[in-house]
Amino acid sequence: MLIIGLVVAAILGVAYVQWRTENPSLPRFGMASAAAVAGAAVTPIAMGQCGFAAEATGVDNLLAYGLMAAGAWLALIAVHALFDRADGRVKEESQMTGEIRTGGYRMGWWVPWVLLSPTLIILVVFLYYPAIRTFTLSTQLTRLGAPKSVEVCFGNFSELLITDPVKLVAYPLIALAAIYGAKLWFTRSAPGTLSRKGADVASVVAMLSVFVALYAMFSPGGGGQVAYRPVYINTVIISVGIVALGMMGGLAIAYLAFRNLRGGGVYRTLLIWPYAISPAVAGVLFFMIFDPTAGIFTHAMESWFGIDVPNYREHAALAMAAIILASAWKILGYNILFYLAGLQTVPLEQIEAAVIDGASAWQRFKTIVLPAVSPITFFLLVTNLTYAFFEVYATIDFMTKGAPAGRTSVAIYEIIRVGVNTGDLGRGAAQSVLLFIAVIGVTLWQFRTSGSRVTYGGA
Amino acid sequence: MKYRLLAVLAAISLIVAACGSGDDDTTTTAAAGGGDDGGGTAAEVIDIDFWVAFSDEARLGFAEDRAAEFNTKHPEYNVKVTSFASYNDAFDAAVLAVDSGEPPGLIHFFEAATRQALDAVDEAGNPIFKSVTEAIGGRSEILGEPVVLDDVVSAARNYYTVDGSFYSMPWNTSSTVMFNNMDMLNAAGITEPPATWADVEAACEALAALPDGPSGCITWPNHSWFVEQSMGQVGELLANADNGRTGRATEAYLESDGMLEYLNWWKSLSDAGYYTYTGLQRDWDGTSNAYIAGEVAMLIYSSSDTTFFDENTDFTNVASFMPRNGDVPYVGNLIGGATIWMLDGMDSATEDGALAFMNFFSNPENAAAWHQLTGYIPITQAAVDLLESQGWYEESPNSKVASDQLAAAANTPASLGALLGNFVGIRDIITIAIEDILVNDLDVATRMATANEEANKSLTEYEQLFGN
Repeated sequence: MLIIGLVVAAILGVAYVQWRTENPSLPRFGMASAAAVAGAAVTPIAMGQCGFAAEATGVDNLLAYGLMAAGAWLALIAVHALFDRADGRVKEESQMTGEIRTGGYRMGWWVPWVLLSPTLIILVVFLYYPAIRTFTLSTQLTRLGAPKSVEVCFGNFSELLITDPVKLVAYPLIALAAIYGAKLWFTRSAPGTLSRKGADVASVVAMLSVFVALYAMFSPGGGGQVAYRPVYINTVIISVGIVALGMMGGLAIAYLAFRNLRGGGVYRTLLIWPYAISPAVAGVLFFMIFDPTAGIFTHAMESWFGIDVPNYREHAALAMAAIILASAWKILGYNILFYLAGLQTVPLEQIEAAVIDGASAWQRFKTIVLPAVSPITFFLLVTNLTYAFFEVYATIDFMTKGAPAGRTSVAIYEIIRVGVNTGDLGRGAAQSVLLFIAVIGVTLWQFRTSGSRVTYGGA
Repeated sequence: MKYRLLAVLAAISLIVAACGSGDDDTTTTAAAGGGDDGGGTAAEVIDIDFWVAFSDEARLGFAEDRAAEFNTKHPEYNVKVTSFASYNDAFDAAVLAVDSGEPPGLIHFFEAATRQALDAVDEAGNPIFKSVTEAIGGRSEILGEPVVLDDVVSAARNYYTVDGSFYSMPWNTSSTVMFNNMDMLNAAGITEPPATWADVEAACEALAALPDGPSGCITWPNHSWFVEQSMGQVGELLANADNGRTGRATEAYLESDGMLEYLNWWKSLSDAGYYTYTGLQRDWDGTSNAYIAGEVAMLIYSSSDTTFFDENTDFTNVASFMPRNGDVPYVGNLIGGATIWMLDGMDSATEDGALAFMNFFSNPENAAAWHQLTGYIPITQAAVDLLESQGWYEESPNSKVASDQLAAAANTPASLGALLGNFVGIRDIITIAIEDILVNDLDVATRMATANEEANKSLTEYEQLFGN
């Protein structure tokens, strides 16, 4: 089984050089094949080929092949960069190193390394080592203070997924096919035609199909599997909700506050304040507002209007809404701050010209302001999503503790609950790796889609 | 050139300053140490770290005050209290500290993780903790402090005695009691606190019939401890091997008849609108607030807050036994709380200091003061006698309920409570299942079957890691 994987990797290497690089040649075919095989072999060797052991399931094989493919792909990218350098082709001229490169380093090759070493040491000790440790932990069943740990191979991952390997391969491939299909349709249709409109719809559907495919791949629980599908749904709803509300609210408020008002400076400063509050305090504040017993909002509604407010923690939709509201409120100040800065770059003469041409306020906002702040929007999209993924733990812990029955338990909350509170380090690590992959995936996707639509101005 | 010289000078002055301040620190510490022990030399003072899992001022302050008293009484020792946010935080920190060679002397750890504490080992595979009984070795006093371990009330002694050895020194120990708003109950024609499940239902019906009755009737935290108490009451085991007391538990019994009956009763109370669910697991604050605010007439809670309720309620607050299933013979309630564990590997002088401190910490005066401060039971018989002689129980009858309830309990594996591996995780499994049942209106038997599967998996995995 391992051999098949390595042979495929070798063929992949040749194919890559043939179709993706500029100067294919025999030595380069050999080099790429060797690199792909080496890249593919790293993970099976590190994990003792456990993914292909006799007791490994179909899903285990699949995950092992997946890791081999990822290793081979990374190796090929490195080889490609090497070829480019050999051909004297450097893709992007870095602005920071441009000047220094011409002069070289006057004092010897080791000087930059010495100067970099404090940063490198910190990175290795506090970032790379813990990251590698997380990967090894994720393949174990282990607890703090336990006399031994058990190697479980991909067990911590496969229990989060459905058990049918065929479906597990098919769903992402279908989603991928949908995306490329929509792309193809888009390039073949002329702007302004009905076909282009159809292609636009198709690309949205294709994008959604990724979410659906992931939904179908996570296990609904039962039969010894962990019910991770609900966690996935919660994470998608709550993260999208926080980012959408936080960014739209941030832009709307910033746009209003940007106008020349009396005492505008004070007003703008006050708007930024929520950002200074920690997620835990945000949780406590909103808890105090909506708590069914002690909440201010609940009390006011009851005593002034006689409305009996239901306990938000007993209804999934209300609980999620409360979490989204609290988290979006907390990040609002940050978004306002950046949008206020961004709005200053909006070219005034264009707006004046638009006013003279008779454009309405909404048209001006849509066609001039929005594109002008698009770099900020893109930046905020990345940071807000990171916030929604990683920093909502405290807010959730204070407001719902995952109630009702786990419907507000998002990925990061689940990681801490499993890995820290119940001490199951292996499973916690495995879920961390999953979140890590998700963040990389979402960020890459953002760079490919929104990145191309961002205009950075300039001549 | 000039700037380079300046930079070098600046660097040198920084280094000198850093070294200088280091020297200063050492001097200050030595001087302070000398001052503390009243003239003795600094080298003779033995530090004993005591890690406490309380962070509130009252309870942490109690520990700090006792440590200060002990240090004054025994100037050759310096007991240092460090606060942790939770039992788990303190425990994890202790395991890591053992591996890095800087362990504390004493650590405060809770009852549910007794199995885990007994099984915890360092990197070389040696147990982290040492049995307190074994360390005392039959002495009746250590450094002049009378040994009180033998006098610990039986409910606590039996709970913490594993394989015949009393491992850790009980500190905060409580039981579940019910607090009753007698003003409300009297208004509904109920004169005595409800004793059985049927009594509770009758009281709730009567309260619901009142025109100006409370919005709810009864509440308690969705914490696994209350489930465990109810299983003790009806004599139902939570796991095999006599609740993990005659061997290692490998199978959970979360779908036993007693469990299903109890949860069905709980669900029926909730469906009828009598039980108020705050919507959070382990919600001590929310349930306590609901009782103090008069939104419910009855609260099943830990006796640890008896003094707090006596002082903070503006109605007649009466404590009573935890209500039980009247159709089944009563077996017994169990304790909850935490003990002080002693780490292995101290030299004999340090160990004696740690033992002396533990016995000083729970001497009759201190144990009685601790009880009066909180409502945790007086942990030794001598402390009970002292409180009786002071007339405390006449003055504060609610304080005696938990002790009486524990004294009435039979000494069986069911009423002692379970010793399970991964107990914290299994408790989570139980409370999540209950929340699911209450909020999503699920069938009790089906949901608990799933929970039992999860608990069994958890126990199996624990044995894979910790079993022989």
